[in-house]
Amino acid sequence: MTDYVDAGQAIPYQQLSAVKGSAPATGAVDYDRILDARSEPQNWLTYYGTYDGQRYSELDQFTKENVKRLSPAWVFQSGAVGMQSGASTYSNEASPIVVEGVMYVSGPDGKCWALDAKTGAELWRYKHASPYDVSLCCGNVNRGVAVGHGKVYMATLNAHVIALDATTGEKVWDVTAGDVRAGESRTVAPLLVKDMVIVGSSGGEFGTRGCLDAFDVETGERRWRRYMIPKPGEPGSETWPDDGEAWQRGGGNCWVTPTYDPELGLLYQGTGNPAPDIDGGVRPGANLYSDSVVAVDVDSGEIRWHYQFTPHDLWDYDSTMENLLFEAPDGRKLLAHADKNGYFFVLDRTDGELVRVFPFVDRITWGEITAEGKVTPKVYPDEEGVPVHFWPGPAGGKEWTHMSYSRQTGLIYVPVQEVGATATRRRREFKESIPYWGAGVAVDLEDFYGYVAAIDPVSGEEKWRWRNEYPMCASTLATAGGLVFQGTPTGEFVALDADTGEKLWEFQCGSGHHSSPSTYSVDGRQYVAVPTGWGGWVEGFLPGLLGAAAGDALFVFALPEN
Amino acid sequence: MTTTSSDRSAQLAEAGLDAQNRTALGRAFGSGNIGYAEEGSDGKMTATVRIPEDALCWDPGTLILPHGGDFELTLINDDKNTHCAVLPNNGDPKFIWLVNHAKGTADLNLDGPGTYYFASTTGNDEGRGLTGAIIVSGEVPDEAKLDRPPQPRP
Repeated sequence: MTDYVDAGQAIPYQQLSAVKGSAPATGAVDYDRILDARSEPQNWLTYYGTYDGQRYSELDQFTKENVKRLSPAWVFQSGAVGMQSGASTYSNEASPIVVEGVMYVSGPDGKCWALDAKTGAELWRYKHASPYDVSLCCGNVNRGVAVGHGKVYMATLNAHVIALDATTGEKVWDVTAGDVRAGESRTVAPLLVKDMVIVGSSGGEFGTRGCLDAFDVETGERRWRRYMIPKPGEPGSETWPDDGEAWQRGGGNCWVTPTYDPELGLLYQGTGNPAPDIDGGVRPGANLYSDSVVAVDVDSGEIRWHYQFTPHDLWDYDSTMENLLFEAPDGRKLLAHADKNGYFFVLDRTDGELVRVFPFVDRITWGEITAEGKVTPKVYPDEEGVPVHFWPGPAGGKEWTHMSYSRQTGLIYVPVQEVGATATRRRREFKESIPYWGAGVAVDLEDFYGYVAAIDPVSGEEKWRWRNEYPMCASTLATAGGLVFQGTPTGEFVALDADTGEKLWEFQCGSGHHSSPSTYSVDGRQYVAVPTGWGGWVEGFLPGLLGAAAGDALFVFALPEN
Repeated sequence: MTTTSSDRSAQLAEAGLDAQNRTALGRAFGSGNIGYAEEGSDGKMTATVRIPEDALCWDPGTLILPHGGDFELTLINDDKNTHCAVLPNNGDPKFIWLVNHAKGTADLNLDGPGTYYFASTTGNDEGRGLTGAIIVSGEVPDEAKLDRPPQPRP
């Protein structure tokens, strides 16, 4: 036999593509600039657009009159190679960030891209090599990146936090933030505040101990960590069994980006379900700080106040979803939160005082919350092996996908899911990395629907609703053109009249929506970008569409140039 | 019927699942050998995988690393057909084309712990069995662990 042919050195896969390899340098994005993000609506500088989580843009080129002419400007598709984590569950869940014509967006399985926001050209790509056997409750997903200090920050499925050079995509630093052998992962979009990048934990279905971390933006050094389940002796520990191990596996993860009030210096972090999700018998007590909004001092990581939406949760009612900040007509600093449990809360965000609570879904059977905030559980699986049906199901009346607030109408546009579920308690031992639900859960395959609800947070009145055959599983976006954008599970991207809820436009994207659209402009032309691709925890929020087409396309729409 | 892990190889052979086009069309998924990377005194890890003639599998098909980090993988194609390899690597997967009777190398960087996929992605090499796993063993750094007492594992 002759000598071997020299195959040489393996090369980066992207060398065999049209990736350009670099993105134009943009102006410096830092804390001061993000603080004032509303003043530059041509960009979408941070996860929610602004620190207050309003997901509202001052761009007004799209109007009620011309929106029917919206059409695709470009489409970006990524595809996949080989086995990956949750190979059949990948979904595009991100909210694209845009800085001066460059879009930074993440996808499933550790992927991140810089794209030309005008043309869709792939400027650079980064792929984190994530093991395919990490413990994931809810699919192969990532909710986005943070951009600033010349870097792009991303969390990974194997619980790393990385910083990439914003112009090349090269890794600048990489820290191991969590323990994959304990069932931890990271799926959240990081938030830049001052000189820190804030990243919360995922792993609530694996009995982890939820936490929120702050890392130095330049080095990755961890500045502080705030556990959301107190140890014995710490404030809140009295809500856990004295002599047990329950707090060690208590859940309370932080898998959705917090909002932030710079005047108060407070992060508003929603926390996840206690663990085990359904079997409360092993964790008697209110189980703080699960299912809460926790006001965290951004400089120290200390908890200033909290409000628990579902004490001693028995239904998997995470409260991780956003806490939207707005001001009452009298200037009072308020916070709005539409919880999985079907109730809409308005709190004073300076101290957590309850201002108003009311249901925002049609069907609530798990229990009742009075106008004064008194919680009375009614239906829950407390007997071993006995099925119990309840509404809303474990994905909630609203899942993590975000509502938006129009500064024109004063209304909050809530994506609502009307889906119930049956849970049967099945106690199990805790073992690291193994799901720790304490129940079998089957979400309803029929009798579901959804709507966008336009809610006046001051009065609690629902002004209109746009009803859909299927639940709403994607974030809304409000714009100054008097529009509300919403993606549907069946692939339509729709524009609604913000005043009336009338549907003004739709485009079929070919796969369902489970992401957060953003809007921006380049050279005076407005665009709206929406990642699509049906996946994630479909068996939890809409199993009736488990067989729907998957996808991984990012659509960007604009008005015709002429 | 009961089975034990110790007689897996014999069972695959008996069932005709240890080679191409016997019982199945391809080779049973994940049925190759297990190998271990070597670690030099400088901490750099090295390993070799090869494609035997007409086997459409990597040998070893499962490669175990003692920890995450940099390692050099040598790839040898002893088959009389052309294959390739897409290999896991932080930043971007690495790619190498492996014509008949070829040998090359790949410098890779992986986190740990966990299992990473590699394969020849040409034709239907993946479906026929030319897939493999690189398993990084060990633990995450202590500073990344949760502040709680040691917990039971499966």
